[in-house]
Amino acid sequence: MKRISFLLLSGFIMFAVFAQAQTKTYSILIKGGHVIDAKNNINELMDVAIQNGKIAAVAKNIDPSLAAQIVDAKGMYVTPGLIDLHAHVFAGTDDRGLSGGFSALAPDPYTFRSGVTTVVDCGGAGWQSFDRFKKNIIDRSRTRVLSFLNIVGDGMRGNPYEQDINDMDAKKAADKALANKDIVVGFKLAHFAAASWVPVERVVEAGKLADMPVIIDFGGDNTHAPLSIEKLFTQYLRPGDIYTHVYTELVQRDPVVDLKTRQLKPFLIPAQKRGIIFDVGFGGGSFNFNQAIPSIKAGFLPNTMGTDLHTGSMNGAMKDQLNVLSIFLSMGMDIQGVISRSTWAPAQAIKRPELGNLSVGSGADVAILTVRNGNFAFRDIAGNRNEGKQRFECEMTIRNGRIVYDLNAIASTSAQSK
Amino acid sequence: MKKFPILVVVLLFLATFTNAQSKLYNTLIKGGRVIDAKNNINALMDVAIKDGKIAKVAQNIDAAQAEQVVNAKGMYVTPGLIDVHAHVFWGTQPNSYLSNGDVGVTADGFSFRSGVTTMVDCGGPGYKSFDTFKKNIIDKSQTRILAFLNIVGEGMRGGDYEQDVSDMDVNLAAKAALDNKEHVVGFKLAHFTNPDWTPVERIVAAGKLANMPVIIDFGGGKLPIEDLFFKYLRPGDIYTHVFTELERRDPIVDLQTRQLRPFVIPAQKRGIIFDVGFGGGSFNFNQAIPAIKAGFLPDLMGTDLHTGSMNGSMKDQLNVLSIHLAMGMNLQSVIERSTWRPAQAIKRTELGHLSEGAIADIVVLSLRQGKFGFRDIAMNRQEGTQKLECEMTIKGGKIMYDLNAIASPIAK
Repeated sequence: MKRISFLLLSGFIMFAVFAQAQTKTYSILIKGGHVIDAKNNINELMDVAIQNGKIAAVAKNIDPSLAAQIVDAKGMYVTPGLIDLHAHVFAGTDDRGLSGGFSALAPDPYTFRSGVTTVVDCGGAGWQSFDRFKKNIIDRSRTRVLSFLNIVGDGMRGNPYEQDINDMDAKKAADKALANKDIVVGFKLAHFAAASWVPVERVVEAGKLADMPVIIDFGGDNTHAPLSIEKLFTQYLRPGDIYTHVYTELVQRDPVVDLKTRQLKPFLIPAQKRGIIFDVGFGGGSFNFNQAIPSIKAGFLPNTMGTDLHTGSMNGAMKDQLNVLSIFLSMGMDIQGVISRSTWAPAQAIKRPELGNLSVGSGADVAILTVRNGNFAFRDIAGNRNEGKQRFECEMTIRNGRIVYDLNAIASTSAQSK
Repeated sequence: MKKFPILVVVLLFLATFTNAQSKLYNTLIKGGRVIDAKNNINALMDVAIKDGKIAKVAQNIDAAQAEQVVNAKGMYVTPGLIDVHAHVFWGTQPNSYLSNGDVGVTADGFSFRSGVTTMVDCGGPGYKSFDTFKKNIIDKSQTRILAFLNIVGEGMRGGDYEQDVSDMDVNLAAKAALDNKEHVVGFKLAHFTNPDWTPVERIVAAGKLANMPVIIDFGGGKLPIEDLFFKYLRPGDIYTHVFTELERRDPIVDLQTRQLRPFVIPAQKRGIIFDVGFGGGSFNFNQAIPAIKAGFLPDLMGTDLHTGSMNGSMKDQLNVLSIHLAMGMNLQSVIERSTWRPAQAIKRTELGHLSEGAIADIVVLSLRQGKFGFRDIAMNRQEGTQKLECEMTIKGGKIMYDLNAIASPIAK
């Protein structure tokens, strides 16, 4: 009898709370923040309301009594959930590097606490390993995981696998991509060492077959002069294709800033105008202030802010998505500029225009960020130091209308918050 | 003649090399406030490192004697933190929960950025899965990984596996522990739901055979914790999830009177060790605040890190420490409970302190002032004005994490 009445009572309370939440116009209302939504050209104080996992309203002074739960974002920035288009999340326990191996990381521990709601795995899986990637990582992650499929069938397994041109089958890669269009957004070529254009031709062929962009990590090694990036941009890639590790300064790679004059090479801005997309892809060895600072001074800004997250970059100079954005603030870019490059710009680059914006009706992936003021310092992969006065911090991340991270408990408690 | 520049380069290189060799210290952490509970230090001190070990702790060590200087002015310098309750046996085996399944996390992504240099996996592997744990996790991690071996042979696989008393083999568990003494520091019992003392008897028997402590997550049998502390556990055994308020668990704070129950402090005096084990469902302000007010402090600050806690109220080791600051504990006290006390609890007294000659596991922390909010697992909110942040983590003398580039020059 005691048990029955307890159950009845708790059932009744739950129903009442549920009914109350249901009668509210909005499940969550983010109040008082500064909204940056590049797609909709918003960069001002606005409230953002969420209902049924979607953005329900973006407007000034939305009535808090309409919402079941209030998030106090005063003094903070409210942006679309960040999109990291260069991550390595195909983790696994086989000796397979970034393709189901120990060098990759399952995404959820690194995404939400850094404001990221979507990651694009950058070539971990090839057409042969994609199904395992889907089963082990994509289907089990709360982060939205998309994929640049490696042009190498066996994926980013390291050498000698990534040097095997015979395993770069454009047709099979394109077929796999098209059969998994909900997840695959393009193709990756990486780490190819020899002085041959064949791999580039293969990946672009796959891109044409599937009507998807390609992203190039332009390998090289010390046995030959680097292949020309000018040639890559003007003769091989299509508008919309992506060149990553743009600010790398490595002997085996043709750099964007001339090593002697320390000036941006003249063909870079025209290449960007032509539609080549330039990704940071910071990683463990791919970001040098000596390349980035002169580039930015010359007006050549990166298009997308990919982290190249993996075990070799997570604790080094890179750290996480917000650290990468903060580094670009320290080099003189503005907040709006780095946010648009990690929201709306990557969404367009991967042809997912439903992401990376706060339009009414779009999926409610939202990041709430603080820009902390103080004395901070950052490094590049060569150990060079750059000081900065601002650092991004993630206060809250919302994925599909659900709060998945709340650093300082800025959400009011409600029936829905558990 | 053209070869001349090469000669110069070689000479320069030699000169640099000799210079580095002639320095007394590899790294010198200058200007920080050292908290070292074992050595009873809580004062401004410099810390010098040589060959992966603590070489000297003293005031005003000459910066010229070090190859590399870390500017820790305004910061705290403590031993590398030890998280006695983590779940790092990550894997892709289906339906394997915290034992080679996808609920565990990879250690290195959480440890160093939160000041942690040693993590004790809390019962992920059992004797059957320890070899896989060693191969996939211990050997692949930069974090020092130790283990409480699960008394269940299959380890923490969830569901029926952990209810199977016939898979709790005292001899095989003790043998696996002793065969792997380098990594195994004790035994774990968790999640057992029946009101039956047999699993407790088994694990304590394993603990006696191997001369190691046990750590108890007291499942759902609603057995009295007073009996557990006084009739079953030995001094040195650990009770985790101490501040849990769950229907199925006997709590330390009486639910009616909201007073700490009278046998808890005597149990601690008897030598029972109490671990926070915050996790995704095991920390309630309604238990912790009255307990702390009554003078009962947890001995250890284990996180119970896993995918279900990492993005929730728990977050990471420093957030757990900051929550205890918010409840009125002081900095020295929370640091001691995540350094020297856990080192003693797991009988690894070579860890958790900055004695000269000790392994150079060091963390440099900032205590940020501001307005912060924290939650427990019931979503109750607690405000705080201080938050610990990790500036730098050093393991075995090597800088593993440097948030604001405070080391200069950096080692190539």
